[in-house]
Amino acid sequence: MTRQRRIAVTSPQTRLALAGRRTGVPAVPPHLAPADAERARRIHRRQLRHALTVLGLLAALLLGLPLLLVAAPGLDEVRLGGIPVSWLAVAVLPYPVLALLARWQLRRAERTERPDRPPGVRE
Amino acid sequence: MILAIVPVLLITLLIGARGVAAMRTTSDFLVASRRISPTVNAAAVSGEYLSAASFLGVAGLVVKDGVGSLWYPVGFAAGYIVMLALVAAPLRRTGALTVPDFAEARLGSRRLRRLSAVVVLVIAFLYLVPQFTAAGQVLAVVSGSPYWVGVVIAGAAVSITLSLGGMRAATYVQAFQFALKLVLFIVPAIWLVLQVGPVVRADALEPVEFTRFPVATPVEFRLDTELTITAPTHAAIAGHPQQLLTPGRYAAEGGTTWVFDAGAPVPQVGTGRPPGGEEWARPVLDPGGYPVLATWSMLVATVLGTMGLPHILVRFHTSADGRGARRTAAITVGLLGVFYLFPAIYGLLGAVLLPELYLSGGTDTVVVALPATVDQSWVGTMFTALLTAGAFAAFLATSLGLLLVVSGALAHDLVPGTLRRLRFTPIAAALVVVLLALRAERIDVGVLVTSAFAVAASTFCPLLVLGIWWPRLTARGAIVGMVVGLISSAGVIGVDLILGAPPGLPAIVLGQPALWSVPLAFATMVLVSLRGTPPAWAAAAMLRLHLDENRSGSAATDDFCPPRSS
Repeated sequence: MTRQRRIAVTSPQTRLALAGRRTGVPAVPPHLAPADAERARRIHRRQLRHALTVLGLLAALLLGLPLLLVAAPGLDEVRLGGIPVSWLAVAVLPYPVLALLARWQLRRAERTERPDRPPGVRE
Repeated sequence: MILAIVPVLLITLLIGARGVAAMRTTSDFLVASRRISPTVNAAAVSGEYLSAASFLGVAGLVVKDGVGSLWYPVGFAAGYIVMLALVAAPLRRTGALTVPDFAEARLGSRRLRRLSAVVVLVIAFLYLVPQFTAAGQVLAVVSGSPYWVGVVIAGAAVSITLSLGGMRAATYVQAFQFALKLVLFIVPAIWLVLQVGPVVRADALEPVEFTRFPVATPVEFRLDTELTITAPTHAAIAGHPQQLLTPGRYAAEGGTTWVFDAGAPVPQVGTGRPPGGEEWARPVLDPGGYPVLATWSMLVATVLGTMGLPHILVRFHTSADGRGARRTAAITVGLLGVFYLFPAIYGLLGAVLLPELYLSGGTDTVVVALPATVDQSWVGTMFTALLTAGAFAAFLATSLGLLLVVSGALAHDLVPGTLRRLRFTPIAAALVVVLLALRAERIDVGVLVTSAFAVAASTFCPLLVLGIWWPRLTARGAIVGMVVGLISSAGVIGVDLILGAPPGLPAIVLGQPALWSVPLAFATMVLVSLRGTPPAWAAAAMLRLHLDENRSGSAATDDFCPPRSS
């Protein structure tokens, strides 16, 4: 078994805060280079849009399903393999849907962060 | 039967020792390897997350409250989607290990940091007490000892494990714990389904209200319970010969066993509904006539509260970078989804085979009580032992994680101290939790855990979401919003627990406040922030959280992405 080198993970903020506490000097305020700020602003906007879409779908699932089950008590009588459909809708259905939502959101979030390509160059 | 937990302790300690050995040089508990793959890390997150509430509480709530309780695990798993979409990657990039760290990094306020540490304590204690309660109940069931013995043993086990060296330090331990819990939960479930036979299987899917005892049934009341008997009932009370009880109210003393005769009508307990009834079988939470509101409120709490659980956030820091943290969150959704397919099996079988647990107040023990009911031979005993081990693994993983977070908040943020004190605080905190748990026997594990989620959703969720996505958030706005959120969640739940709310709408509004307390906290934070001006560097402080680490030609992220060791 090869031994991997490990390093202690202390949060940089904790380190800064501790340093500040010791010396009494506040931590340096954060700053960004103009190019980075521009790129960050663009990513922030896109990621926010992606996040809001996926959260909207999640809300539709989690708020809509109970509403549907209350509005349609007949689903208790419909059975699939002997199990009431309304039970399946709570006990089984949400999990694959959640996994798919997670996968989709991950894909889109990672695509947003891909390095910028020069205009006109395609993958 | 207590011997079942010994292998769990030994194996976790062993893996812990192997994993920790390489890191012994670091002085802090808060250490990790940087080169953990997202899958292993996701298993570790799941291992830390699957507490006694998931392992025992959900099935118990199904027996007690009905099929609608299966919404709890849906909320528990869906929380990671919100985590993935809004929090995981940016939070990892701040380098903040805890919410107090994040508060200071993003808003530069010492006061906010201390307030966050207080909230960490509130959440952790709300989460810890039911873990100990569950451990105490399980040990009481499998060994027949009184409840307090179980709680004290659980406290001792945690303290010993902690003093032997913070086993949780290794991600591998938690990943192993997840695999262990998954196997120990799924294998007995499949065995149970095969073993019970077609009649019970059909009964589980077509529940009949539990109105008469089918056979002579001993009910061991763990707590003082008031029974309402509506029809003449044959029962033998506490070892006395059988007698005919006339309709009326009876007080069953805690610790006594009543043997109800075959065919005797089932007495009523409180306002609860006996398992199997029509209301019980409806797949929504319905404590008092407002099923949609009650279900939504629980879902809002669990889904938005996940991101505020302090012991989970620390785990995300083990990822190499923001991208890894995001992948971890996404994989966690899948892993939890597999586990949460199974509590339903225990709950539905329990409602058919052990409905009397609803009378005795022991529904949280249904998972460990089932194998012995199905099979009296050594096989049943073996599966009881396996499930006990799994429940104890769940209890240990979550409790240790939370106790370390508590001691971190105390020693690091509230009472600055040395490492020596950090080593001692978890044990002191464990002692406090044991004392609280001794008094909390009556409370459902799943319900108290959900109130921890409600507090997290009303305080840390707005702080994290607005802090990460809204540059205009001010420290003042965050402080006022958190205080409002804390009062409207923890304060209101506390009032509800102590005074008791009238059933119906007030019970939902007070007992499960997330549906209104979360929007209130968000609104307060936004409005107070809009009245002030954020410092000039606020926009940069927010934007840098969204900058991925892997782009070329930048020096600005040196602080936030330390070079990987190789």
